[in-house]
Parts: sequence; structure tokens; C-alpha cells
Amino acid sequence: MNRIIMFAVILLPIIGGSLIPILPFKTRQRMMFYIEALCVINSVLVCSMLFYQPNEVFTLFRFSGDLSVTLHLDGPGKMFCALAAIMWPFAVLYSFEYMKHEEREKGFFMFYIITYGITLGVALSENILTMYFFFEMMSLVTLPLVMHTHTREAILASRTYLYFMLGGAAFAFIGMVFILSYGTTSSFLPGGIIDMAKLDGKTDMMLLVYVFSFFGFGIKTAIFPFGRWLPKASVAPTPVTALLHAVAVVNTGAFAVMRITYYSFGTNLLRGTWAQDVVMLFVIFTIVYGCSRAVKETHLKRRLAWSTVSNLSYILFGVVIMTPEGACGALCHMLFHSFMKITSFFCAGAIIYKTGKNYVHELNGFGKKMPKIFCIFTVSAMALMGVPGLAGFISKWSLVRAAFASENILAYVGVGALLVSALLTAIYMLTICVRAFFPGKEFDYSTISDVKDPNMLMIVPLCVFLAFVIYFGIHPQYVLTFLSGIDFV
Amino acid sequence: MSTILIIPMAILIIAGLVLLIWSFVEHIRCKGVYEEKHTGIAQSIFLIALFVSAGIVVYLALGKERSVTLFYLMNNIPIYFKIDEIGRWFVLIVTIVWLLVGIYSIRYLRHEGEQKRFLGFFLLVYSVLIGLDFSGNLVTMYLFYELMTLTSFPLVLHNGSKEAIMAALKYLFYSMAGAYMGLFGIFYLQHMMGDLTFVAGGAIGRAFFDENKALMLVAFFIMILGFAVKAGLCPLHAWLPTAHPVAPSPASAVLSGIIVKSGVLAIIRVIFYLIGPEMLRGTWVITVLLILSLVTVFMGSLLAFREPVLKKRLAYSTVSQVSYILFGIFLLTPKALTGALLQVAFHAIVKCGLFLVAGVFLYEHHVKRVDELVGIGRRIPVTLWSYTFLSLSLIGIPPMSGFVSKWFLAQGALVSGTGVFEIIGPIVLLVSALLTAGYLMPITMKGFFPGEEAASEKVKETSLWMLVPIVVLTVFAFVLGVFPNGLIDYADKIAALQW
Repeated sequence: MNRIIMFAVILLPIIGGSLIPILPFKTRQRMMFYIEALCVINSVLVCSMLFYQPNEVFTLFRFSGDLSVTLHLDGPGKMFCALAAIMWPFAVLYSFEYMKHEEREKGFFMFYIITYGITLGVALSENILTMYFFFEMMSLVTLPLVMHTHTREAILASRTYLYFMLGGAAFAFIGMVFILSYGTTSSFLPGGIIDMAKLDGKTDMMLLVYVFSFFGFGIKTAIFPFGRWLPKASVAPTPVTALLHAVAVVNTGAFAVMRITYYSFGTNLLRGTWAQDVVMLFVIFTIVYGCSRAVKETHLKRRLAWSTVSNLSYILFGVVIMTPEGACGALCHMLFHSFMKITSFFCAGAIIYKTGKNYVHELNGFGKKMPKIFCIFTVSAMALMGVPGLAGFISKWSLVRAAFASENILAYVGVGALLVSALLTAIYMLTICVRAFFPGKEFDYSTISDVKDPNMLMIVPLCVFLAFVIYFGIHPQYVLTFLSGIDFV
Repeated sequence: MSTILIIPMAILIIAGLVLLIWSFVEHIRCKGVYEEKHTGIAQSIFLIALFVSAGIVVYLALGKERSVTLFYLMNNIPIYFKIDEIGRWFVLIVTIVWLLVGIYSIRYLRHEGEQKRFLGFFLLVYSVLIGLDFSGNLVTMYLFYELMTLTSFPLVLHNGSKEAIMAALKYLFYSMAGAYMGLFGIFYLQHMMGDLTFVAGGAIGRAFFDENKALMLVAFFIMILGFAVKAGLCPLHAWLPTAHPVAPSPASAVLSGIIVKSGVLAIIRVIFYLIGPEMLRGTWVITVLLILSLVTVFMGSLLAFREPVLKKRLAYSTVSQVSYILFGIFLLTPKALTGALLQVAFHAIVKCGLFLVAGVFLYEHHVKRVDELVGIGRRIPVTLWSYTFLSLSLIGIPPMSGFVSKWFLAQGALVSGTGVFEIIGPIVLLVSALLTAGYLMPITMKGFFPGEEAASEKVKETSLWMLVPIVVLTVFAFVLGVFPNGLIDYADKIAALQW
């Protein structure tokens, strides 16, 4: 009955999360205990699932013929599941502290936990319909989290969020319909499922559909020109921005794009066509554009959000190289970037939580007052820049190796874009560190005398994530071997 | 496997981190105005770590060939150290300079404050430089190259003024941009060659090279240009004159003397240890680089000539003098390479000495601009004599050391077979030497002969902690000029390995 477990890991957080507002918790401690236990149990379940590796598929229900909601665990899914399983328990731990003074805590945690299940759902989808289903759910469930504060700004942001997500879904829907009608089956199979015989003479149309669905699913990864929602959504509480808008939701988008590229349309169909060129151009542009906006941005969280925009396009860049190495690089960056970005976002959150300071220029001299946070932040900044010995270098290296190996001239341009973006990353991250540690001779520390490091609930998750960043930088073999073993074509 | 290779680095990193954390904790604990405590202990830690590790480094550099693989970054990319000829050459220069500047900065930093932070970073940079010089492959070198930038920029912003911070950021971003350009080449070479271990004479096969020539040359060009940012090649030199004047003098000394040379080392590694000089001969890459280096030689001297602030003048002089080295490298002949290597050594010693002297002017007399130095020779004759000898060496007047390297460079240019550069090269070198005399000697003249109206002043030399390193550097500059044969032989040996 191994395959039941796949269903269980999705259902448990959804049901357990929905119960949070209903259950009568006597104290906050008990609620914290319940939520944390829920996450840990689910993560343990995910781990055991990864350990037993159920090979069968599990069909939840069947609409008609091929159309069914089906779960299956394969290579990319394993990685995504593992990522979520590591992230959630620690992120929840952090959120306990962060949300202490916020209102509507129960509602927040409800949606926060439900998202865990849905993320796993996307990872475990066996066919495009299932993925689309969870993809849509994801948009709806995270919407209340964006408008959590109920300020005017938050409501405007959530409206933008909703419009972009719905628009994306519409485009993605077109893609889904075409895949279903021109595919030999509806499942995700390495190398794609498009029936070449049916396609006869309509290749260009199919490529156009690919471009549509690329942008449809890609809206979640904030690809240019649809990237505006992500920085706006950073009005949400930091645990949301950090875990969902730097890891779960946006990675879902990248994951979905990878699925349709490698497992639905298939690289044989797409490689070397104008469709590849078009999407690659947009991706390359987004890489540089996101970074440039980050340099310009002075709001700390929005700056990190723009940086996410750029980094997500690194992932997409790996995807649209359309070789197995490219997909490996993409998954690698997806994994490593998640750890790096959640670390820097949690640092930003800790700053906001302790001091209420939102803007970069208000951070002068904080390095001496919040030494732990800023030391961690500096390391994560260096990782994002791609200093060797930290995770970012490894994933960039694999992306670039794939780009060169693909012998695609646009991919060479992409490598240039990666390096320009690395420089811009150095600029927007290190200026923060320099400000914090070296505020200048005349700086008066008494103006920030009440600034302090947060407590262990915040520090411990940060240290764990940082440990991963360093571990992956020094010893990435395990991950790289695993990724190169995945079947993409 | 010789783990002894990592020991000096480990000692330095530990000692450096101890000082930094100590300083940091002191800052966090302090209420009100920050006052540094126990500087004596900090200085002792600093000196012990410096001397012990310098001792080990000298032992290693003079000893047999060793290599060690620390760990694997990726399947085929080890972090790998190896002592080879060129590494010995650079690491010995670094060590000499670091010891002397280290002694100097103990006293000098009293004036700047925040001693622990400075000394801590100073040790870290030394450790990183040892790693850089002993790197056995390109990725290892790149790792230390980035770390060098990240650990040395706090030295630049040390005094914490707005200006210093901006200058440090400029330095940081220029260096980063250069490093990433280099990284592009590294990515490309890794893709083409698979193995980036340094091999004297280069590792690319001729047939393979010809097959991919066009794209490879572009990649090499970007890469060399990237590493040349650190070496101050025009048009990427702008960080030097900004960073040097605001940094504390010991920091400017090592910046000009050593860190700039790391860019040179990286270029030597790329051209001679990966690509192979014969591949580049006669290509557009070399032509462009030769032109750029000659333009830089001339332009640097000219800018130095009309610069009134002493440290800025010296920075422009570095721009010019380091491009002598680059010119020598790009000529791709053994003789010119010998000259370039000698120039690396001599310029490190001389420019370091000059910056230390400029530090004395600042520290004792608070003088920044050249025209305020009138009559200074009466007060600090020994320092100004040292300055004079060092200047003579930089100009290249025999028997001072600078003459030897320039002689080899000019000779190398004449036999290089690079067409028009055979003639233009030596001419530019000569003109630049004239300009060098023009911008360095007036300080001596005004310093010793201020004119009649100047009041006579008492001799009051600076502290021995600062004076001794300057004098020792001067003696080096002189002795190595009179007895250069040992060095020449060794440089010849390195150059001969490449063909």
C-alpha cells in the first residue's frame, strides 16, 4: 500500500490545516505544538515515501477516458518533495515567532499549512490535468496569505496577484487542452507525449501553443513582462514572502514549465525552433531585468523579490536550454536558490520583526546590533553572488556547463547575462552588508540602541538553512549525481 | 599529499578570525564611545601568527614540490594546491612585503584606530594570497581571487569616512566585474578543455585550438581583460586612484604592491599555464592587449605627472608600472617574460616602500599634497633619502633594481618579432621613465632644497617600527639592483619552462 502514502502526504496538511480554526486550542503553545507536529509528521511521511519510492501510480478519480487525477513519484518530483519537506517545519518554526504580534494568526497558519499539501501535489502530479488542478489551487490558497494584513496596499497587491494568476491559468489551460488533444496519453513521460503523426503540418501552431503555455505557467515564476506581481506581493508577512514567494509558489511555476517542456511537449519537438529562441530571449532578458530592478529598489523585501525574479529566470534558463544537462542545472538551481533566498528573506524578516525598518538606507550600523542576522545575511549574499564554496556557485556552474554544451548561440548570450546578473547581485546585496557593518565614522550608535538579534525560534531555522547552503557548496556530489540520474528525454 | 601546505593558511585564518571576532564582540559590548582595549595582546597575536606562518611559507617555497587536494567542489573540479616555480616567486614577494608592512602597520594603525579589525583582515588577505599563489588549477585560483577582493576591501574602507566607503565599493565592484569576466572564460575553458590544472607551457593542443579559434580567442580576450581589471589596465584602471588615497597607507602599500600583482599572476596563469603562449602569438587578442598596455604605461605616467595628491600620484604610477609587466607578458618572448617577472618583484618592493613613505608624511606631518612637502627633508632625512632611492629604482636608473627589469623588458621587446611594437615599446618605456622622473623627483628636490626663506628645523625621524621597514625595502631595492643575477637566473628558469 505504498502508493497510498502519496495521497496521504497531500491530504494530511490540507485536512490538518483546515482544522486549525475549528480546533479549540487553550493556549497559543498548544496551537504551535499542533502545527509543528503536523508539519514534522508530514515531513517524516514524505521522507519515508522518498525512502520506499513507490513506483506505482495512484489514481484518485477518473473523469473520463484518459482524464484523471493521478499521482506518481518520479525524479524531479522527489527533489521537489524533499525540498518542501525540509523547508516547511523550519519555516513554521520561524513563523511562530514572526506572527506573534499579528492578528488572524489561525487563518494564516491554516493557509500556510494547506499550501504544503498543495506543493506536494504539484510535485507528485502524474499528468497535466492533475498538475493544473493543484496549480490553480495554489493560486487560490495563497491569495488570502498575500492580503493577510488587510491594509489597502495588501488588498491592491492581492488583486494584482489574483489577476496575474488567473491570466496565467488561462494561458496554461490552452496549453493543457492542446497537449491533451495532440498527445498520445495524458501522462508526463520523459521525452514528451506529442503524437507526431497527428501533428503533421501543424508544428508551428503547436510551437505557438508552447509559447503560450510557457508564459501561462511561467507567470508564477514572474517572467518578464509578467513579473510585477512578485515584488508587489512582498507586502505579505515575511514567512509568506520567504517560503511561498521565493520557494514554493514560484518553484511550482518553474517546475510546471519544466514538466511541460520535457515531459509533455518534449525537447525533440522544441529544440532548435523559433519557440525556443523566443522563450530564451525572454528568460535572458528577465535575468538582467530582475537584477537591475533589484539594484534600483530601496525597499529591502522588494529588492529581494526582484532578485528572486532574476534567479527564477536562471532556473527557466536551464529549462529552455532543452537538454538533460540544462534540466539538471535548472533543478539544481531551484534547490540551491530556495535555500539561499529563504535565508536572506528570513534575515530581512527578522530585521522587520525586530525593528520595523523596511528600507535599505535605514539599516546603517545594524551589523553590530544584530550580528548573527547580518553574518548569516552576508553569507547568503555571497552564495547568491556565486562565490565558490557556497551553493550558488555550483548551480551556476551546472547551468553554464549545460549552456555551453548545448552549442546554442543564444545560450552563450545567456551565460553573459548570468555573469552580468552576478555582478548586479554583488551590488544589491553587498551594499546592504557594507551599510550594516560599516556605517561610517560619524554614525551614532545610540540612535539604534534598542536593535537586537531575535530569539532562537528565528535563529535556528536560519542556521539550518545556512548549513544547507554551505554543505551544498562544499559537497554537492550527492545532489548532482541524483539529478544527473533523472530521465528527461 | 602534503597537508603542511594548508597549515600557514590555517594559522592565518584562525588568528585573523580571532582578531576580527574579538573586535566585533568588543564593539557589540561597548556602551557609548568605542575604545579599543588590549591592543598589545592583539598585536602580539598578529605578529606571532604573521612570523610563524611566514616562516612556514618560506620553508615551503624553498623546499621541494608538494601538492595537496583539499576536497572536490564537483566531480572533476578539485580544490587543489601545488607549489610550482611561479608560485614560489610570487609567494616569496608577498611574504617579504607582508612581513615588513605588518611591522609598519602596528605603529601606523595607532593613528587610524580599529587596529584589531585592520590587523585581522590583514592576516586574512595574506592567507588568501598564499592560497592564490599555490593554486594548482584555475577554479582554485578563482576561489581565492574572489576571496581576495572580499577580504581586502575592508582594508580600503578602514577609516569609515563616506569617501572611503564609496571608494571601497568602487574597488569591490570593479574587481567583481573583472572576476566575473574571468569566470566567463573559466566556464568556457572548462567546457572546452575539461581539465583546468596548470601546466607550464599551456595545455591546449594546436589542432584543437585551430578548430575553435574564433570563439576561443573571444573567450580568452574577455578573460584576460577581466583579470586585468585588478592589474589596472586602461580603461579599467579607475578604481586604483580612487581606492589608494583613502585607504590607510599600509593598505595602499599592499594594494599597489601585491594585490594588483595578483591580477598579473592570474594573467600569467591563463596565458602561460593554460592556453600556451604560442597559441596567442600574432592574434588580434595580443595586438589589442599590447596596444592597451602601452597606452596604459603612457597614460598612467602622464596622469601621475599632473596629480597633486601624493598617494593618488603613486596610484597612477602603479597603473603605469604594472602595465610594464603586462606589456612584458603580452610580448610572449622568454626575455620579456623574465623582465616582467623581475618587474613584479622590484615594483612590489619599490611601490610598497613609496607608499610607506607617503604614510610617514601623513602620519607624522599630516601632509597629503605634493606641494606641502617643501623642506620635509630637513625633518626626516632618512625617510626622504629612502624615498629618493626608491624613486630612482622606479625610474630605472642603474644600479637600482628597476633598471634591470626595464632592461630585460626593452630587450625582450626588441627581439619579440611583434612588428611595430618592437620599436614603439622601448620608446614608450623611455618616455614613461622620463615622466616617472618628472613626477617623483620634485619631491626630493623640494624636500631637501626648500629655498632660502625656509626656517631650519630639527631632525625628528619617525618611530623605528615604521622607519625600519622602509629602510629595509630600500636596501632590497638597492641590493637586488647590484646583485640581480640570482633573481635573473630564477626568472629565466621560469620563462624557459614556458617554451
